[in-house]
Amino acid sequence: MEEAEKELERRSKFLNSLIQKKKKGIEQHEHESFKVHVRACDMPLPLQNRALQCARLHLESMPPGNKLDNKRLALALKKEFDSSYGPAWHCIVGTSFGSYVTHSVGGFLYFSIDKVYILLFKTAVEPLDH
Amino acid sequence: MSEEAKKNFAGALTARPNSDEPKPAPVPAVPPKKVIIKSADMIPDMQKEAVDIAVAAFEKYNVEKDVAEQIKKEFDKRHGPTWHCIVGRNFGSYVTHETNHFVYFYLDQKAVLLFKSG
Repeated sequence: MEEAEKELERRSKFLNSLIQKKKKGIEQHEHESFKVHVRACDMPLPLQNRALQCARLHLESMPPGNKLDNKRLALALKKEFDSSYGPAWHCIVGTSFGSYVTHSVGGFLYFSIDKVYILLFKTAVEPLDH
Repeated sequence: MSEEAKKNFAGALTARPNSDEPKPAPVPAVPPKKVIIKSADMIPDMQKEAVDIAVAAFEKYNVEKDVAEQIKKEFDKRHGPTWHCIVGRNFGSYVTHETNHFVYFYLDQKAVLLFKSG
């Protein structure tokens, strides 16, 4: 009887160990699938987080296996920032591009999420002449 | 008999140099880049200017960022600040631009986005 209890305990520990490993694996996978890397930045932290969150949500909302629509994500980010932080924001999304832009102070972010690169920057809006 | 043999030998020698002479290969002309204006809100003269500057930049630089820099700076100089330029094989964009100051075109496989804002 005592030996039987020990065996059960050992098996129980082994199973728990397997479960824990599997959980870690899943978490790691989820984290890795949308790894974010800020590559260049001139932007307050709250705005950075807003951009990263917006991009992440957009990617997560896509059905698995679907190809990213660069223009749709660019539009989503630009709209959110135009409405939240005032015009005019510009957004470029893609896997292969170079750029040279002039931006407002505090309005520049270049980051990658998964395999996509995203450039988000702001320019001053000149008031219309009356 | 011996004189005839000499004559034949000499003839063979004279013929050989001609056949060995190498012919210079013609220099292949560089084909012009294919230009496709995808979208434009810009006067035609300025569009052509953008394309010409881009063609020159691609000949001069290999890195996309350098090409973009060349184009943007040239337009800042010629048409006043502030211009922005994106160059690449794969990208989508959404931007706000000043009226009559936007062009998006392809040079072979590379896309060029040039616009004025701010």
